[in-house]
Amino acid sequence: MTVQGVSKAFGGIQAVEGCTFEVAPRLITGLIGPNGAGKTTVFNLITGFLRADGGSIRFKGEELLGLAPHEVEARGVVRTFQHLRLWGKMTVLENVLLGCRTPLGESVVSLFLRPGRVREEEAAARRRGLEVLEFFGLAGRAHELAEDLAYPEQKLLSMARIFATDAEVLLLDEPTSGLDTDSLGRIVPMVRRLVEHGKTVLLIEHNMELIAQLSDEVVFLHQGRVMARGRAEQITRDPTLTEIYFGA
Amino acid sequence: MAAYIAHYLVMVGIYTILATSLNLLVGYSGIFSLAHAAIYGIGAYASALAALKLGLGFWGGLVVAAMVGALAAALVAIPSLRVAGDYYIVASFGLQVVILTVFINWTSFTNGHAGLPGIPRPYVLGLVIDDPFKYVVLSLALAALTYLICLRLTGSAFGRTLRAVREDEIAAAATGKNVVAVKITITTISSALGALAGSLYAHYITYINPTSFTLDESIFITSLVILGGTERLAGPFVGALILLAVPEALKFLAIPDTVAAPMRQILYGALLILFMFVRPEGILGRPRPRSVA
Amino acid sequence: MDLVLQLLATGLVVGSLYALCAIGWGLIYGTTLHFHVAHGAVFALAAYYAYVAQKLLHLPLILAVLVAILGAAASGLLIDLLLYQQLERRGAFRTSIFIASLGLLILLENVIAIVFTPDPMRMDIGALNTAVIIGPVFLTYLHILTVVLALVGYAALMVFLKRSRWGQAIRAVSSAPEMARTVGIDLDRVHLLTYAVGSALAAPAGILVAMDVGAEPFRGTRFVLLASVGVIMGGIGSIPGAMLGGVFLGLLENLGIWKLPSEWQSAISFGVFLVFIVLRPRGFFGRTIHGAEI
Repeated sequence: MTVQGVSKAFGGIQAVEGCTFEVAPRLITGLIGPNGAGKTTVFNLITGFLRADGGSIRFKGEELLGLAPHEVEARGVVRTFQHLRLWGKMTVLENVLLGCRTPLGESVVSLFLRPGRVREEEAAARRRGLEVLEFFGLAGRAHELAEDLAYPEQKLLSMARIFATDAEVLLLDEPTSGLDTDSLGRIVPMVRRLVEHGKTVLLIEHNMELIAQLSDEVVFLHQGRVMARGRAEQITRDPTLTEIYFGA
Repeated sequence: MAAYIAHYLVMVGIYTILATSLNLLVGYSGIFSLAHAAIYGIGAYASALAALKLGLGFWGGLVVAAMVGALAAALVAIPSLRVAGDYYIVASFGLQVVILTVFINWTSFTNGHAGLPGIPRPYVLGLVIDDPFKYVVLSLALAALTYLICLRLTGSAFGRTLRAVREDEIAAAATGKNVVAVKITITTISSALGALAGSLYAHYITYINPTSFTLDESIFITSLVILGGTERLAGPFVGALILLAVPEALKFLAIPDTVAAPMRQILYGALLILFMFVRPEGILGRPRPRSVA
Repeated sequence: MDLVLQLLATGLVVGSLYALCAIGWGLIYGTTLHFHVAHGAVFALAAYYAYVAQKLLHLPLILAVLVAILGAAASGLLIDLLLYQQLERRGAFRTSIFIASLGLLILLENVIAIVFTPDPMRMDIGALNTAVIIGPVFLTYLHILTVVLALVGYAALMVFLKRSRWGQAIRAVSSAPEMARTVGIDLDRVHLLTYAVGSALAAPAGILVAMDVGAEPFRGTRFVLLASVGVIMGGIGSIPGAMLGGVFLGLLENLGIWKLPSEWQSAISFGVFLVFIVLRPRGFFGRTIHGAEI
């Protein structure tokens, strides 16, 4: 996925400007920077929750800029939220099922005219949903309400939900924030496994160490501009960048 | 006495259809509409006019009613749901007002306040439905049909999507759901069903006029939904059973008419408030789930 | 031509009434995100407070009006305190707040109808009834007062919001509630204040109408819905927009009568509203209503 010269202003503030970077396939790219650098804004721009003022976002030869979030998802790019935004009143399995492909079940016409196919599709979706939950270690909780889960498990669920969509590019917004060291041990390997599964990951992360551990490539954002791009070891050891990061 | 109960049951059937269809919107999708009485009225007038002017039977009238009702709702929903749910409240209020104005003022079509008398009775398989008892069967059968349709809708992936949109539509959009399309679809279906109730009503009372389809009526239907419970599909039926019995009970207390009408409204208003406190899900609704632990 | 001028003038007067309701409602909606239809009940109550103050307590008109405005502000505040905030404490959805508000509107209107009957209750307005003739246009002093009060109310609100500390607190909560909370602003208090101010603005509208044609229990519903249309057209979060929206609606309704029968007045307004939200959903000056922080 290529982000090219993307910019976005709010009121008088230029949140993002001339943002350009690439997300290489089947790698983990970290998006880091001090608070307020515009990282979540970039996520919003890529996934269509915000409309960029200018620039281009291309994936597999298609332009993503200007598309609505569900259209971006259909093209294979999804994101999680820092505040999770799970459907707390629905079960864990339902949360994942909503990510699975169920076009017939969602079409009112098919519901009434092709009940057999709808039934098959739902059964297949359930099977897949349970598989996804297995993969994330949540299968035992399938029928509990999402809001009853412990925080680390909720984080896993938010990843499971987008994993179920089969999208190729997964944008993870602070997947490890608010977790203690034990829980980190559950999430971090999971992110690696996503890539092993063939996914491409772009993640926002605050913890420099984790970035060094996890990411293959890093994009450093500051005041809405890309300050640096490169291999993780380079960036995390660069003293100027470290100063900006901690000084800002 | 028996005929009286039969009449009560016919109305319960009609209002169950109205409340169930509104529940799809308010309860299930979290979209609030003040226009359901107008949709009810559209169904009634469409069906009545189809019979009186085009000679269509009851079943033809039903289809016409559903289509016109769906169309009217879609016309309003498409511009307003694209933006934000609160816009739909205002837009639906507008629809209610405009439609009522049409009923009252487009006299060449609707006869205005004089109303449309002489609406023919339905024929079912050659049998004319001309007494309250036969009508009870028809009414409750259609109510059951509506219930089954809604059951199918809510138990499906579509229903799941509706609930997700209601709880957090941003998450739904991020997970690939076309939120606007879903909302427009459910609004259209809800209105088609509501209009159906109108058709049933028109052929039962055989006379309709604008006073049955005012904003007060929309609020009454809303009270049915709230009282009966928004998450359970059988809720509206219970709501109808209870609230339709109230005016009769009030009659027993010999309250003068001028006070009775506002008293009923006060009751509905109080009910709405009370239920938002006690159980936002209504009598039969699923209680807010507590932790399994 | 004479007719058009008259309609414009009447439209301006009616528009001023809508504008007062709209800026009050818009302030409340923009700050609390409550779809406060019970604002219509406050509108109606204000008229009856003035009526009771003048006719039953025998207060002079000006005092009666002041009492009514204070009464309205208190009523609005109590509605938030005793109803909305209580519901929010129980985790109510926004739809639930709206339903409760609707229930309250119905309840209050009908209680008034039982106590005072649905017939219009007229007040003594003495000299205000005097006719003023400007060219072909016929107005009364009351009508002119209406326009003046709308402008005064608007100006007062803008000054309050820009200059006073409480006004700034309201603006902070209105544009970024979470951030306002983190800098220590008590959201509940600010909400109460917003309701008091917003309701105080609706009061003159209700009272002026009552002075013109008498107080009626059910008029508020129409006014609050038109106020919300005005706010949406003007842009949510923009007080100048709400002002403009209200005036625009008043003009629209009255000019509409020029060519179309008067029964279609409301239909015209809502029809225009629908067209408007298709073409410019943000309204004249609104911020994008995408709402939630992501």
